[in-house]
Amino acid sequence: MSTATQMPWMMAPETYLQPWQDFYAKLLAMPKVIEVMRRTRVGATPTRPVYREDGLRLLEYETDAPRKYRTPLLLVFALVNRPYILDLKAGKSVIAHFLGAGFDCYNVDWGTPTPGDRHLALEDYVLGYMDHCVDVVRRRCGVDRVNLIGYCMGGTMSAMYTALRPEKVRNLVLMAAPVDWSTKDSLLALWSDEKYFDIDRMMDVYGNAPAEWLQVSFQLLRPVANLVEKWVNLYENLENEKFLEDFFAMETWLNDNIPVAGEIFRQFVKYCFQRNLLIQGKLTIGDERVDLRNVRCPVLNLVAQHDHLVLPSQSTPFNDVISSTDRKVVSFPVGHIGLAVSSKSHRDLWPSVVQWLGERSEPLTG
Amino acid sequence: MASNPFGSLPGMNPFTSFWTDFFSKMVAAGITPATPPADMAEQLRRSFFDSMSKYCDEFMRSEAFLQAMKQSMDNALAWQASMNQYLQKGLQAAQMPSRADSEQLVAMVRGLEDRLFSRLDSLAERIEKLEKAASRGEKTERTRSKS
Repeated sequence: MSTATQMPWMMAPETYLQPWQDFYAKLLAMPKVIEVMRRTRVGATPTRPVYREDGLRLLEYETDAPRKYRTPLLLVFALVNRPYILDLKAGKSVIAHFLGAGFDCYNVDWGTPTPGDRHLALEDYVLGYMDHCVDVVRRRCGVDRVNLIGYCMGGTMSAMYTALRPEKVRNLVLMAAPVDWSTKDSLLALWSDEKYFDIDRMMDVYGNAPAEWLQVSFQLLRPVANLVEKWVNLYENLENEKFLEDFFAMETWLNDNIPVAGEIFRQFVKYCFQRNLLIQGKLTIGDERVDLRNVRCPVLNLVAQHDHLVLPSQSTPFNDVISSTDRKVVSFPVGHIGLAVSSKSHRDLWPSVVQWLGERSEPLTG
Repeated sequence: MASNPFGSLPGMNPFTSFWTDFFSKMVAAGITPATPPADMAEQLRRSFFDSMSKYCDEFMRSEAFLQAMKQSMDNALAWQASMNQYLQKGLQAAQMPSRADSEQLVAMVRGLEDRLFSRLDSLAERIEKLEKAASRGEKTERTRSKS
């Protein structure tokens, strides 16, 4: 069909017809979009709870893969979202890598704090819940020490736990775990500054950190990407079923927010974000001082290069203050959540992490 | 040269720098009126979103925004505190339990739990010591009877 027209000031027909055709094609794809949305399921691997304490559940992942290592793996996620991000869907599951390699995998589901949980502090979470979970895993697997993987705030808590109970941790892997808030380069650190944020007053009024407030805060860190670009990309990919499956799985998790217990949130903001006590060795949990130099086990520190939530400068200093001789920082070109869900991470990063951990774990003999 | 009447308005500098950045990105991408590339719309959109993101980030780091955020938070907290107080008084007048009452109950139960566990731990320690002493006593008896 010739694109020349009799009247040169008129647009060629396909110039204005094509966008309309695209629009109608997307309209016709809507039933498929709704179908994908309705059948979205998150959490690829079946689990069963093996321990409960208050609202917490310790989940064991079930698998038919043969077990090759005695040393089990305990994953600790942050308190601000659900932990199934580490097992989001088939092809985007960190857990699947370790199960396939022969590890026993456990995940801590912190549960949803109620208003009565507002007084739960770092001491309750790190020296209480986490320690009890570690003891349960040690008992079930018949080992003295476990492998610990901590993600984001869960990584910070894992670092604290390893410093306080080094005899129970064989290897430590951190994923985008902040430990040093000396610079205010990230927006989150800037907004949390005590000049602009009265955390004590907020916790006195609200009790727990509200889930909706946390979600809005995270969205506002990248308003254009989260509020505009995301939906433009969705519109452009309405006919791409694979894209839709990934999109709705992520949206399920992103909107599955939970509140954070008031006292631990207050301590995190005040003692970590505002006063940066952890990296200085001045943070106390209960009666014990957290000295990161007590971390002597092998450490693998995974850092996301394009992380806007936890900047690399907030994670990498951990390796400079610990006493471990076997320690490594791996900086990977993804964002904060991309460490767990991006195709690039699952193709290039996690196989090497599994190998690193396998070399340092006790094999199953006999 | 006439002065810019808009230049003194608050927030104009980031605004003008956003549009300057946007147009410079367009030129860098080769998008000029004379040479529109095939995927012009997408490149335009990309440039616009990148510039907008950068502008938003700069704005959210500005003192004006931070103070506005603090003010907004203070107002929200003041309103919520008043609401909490009002509801507390209303529930008390109606002799109904409030959230503060249930939080107090939970704190009492946790305190009780801590005291009980602490007592159990000390009892367990004492039993362990007694068992060790008893087993040492048995060993001594056996040694004496053998000799």
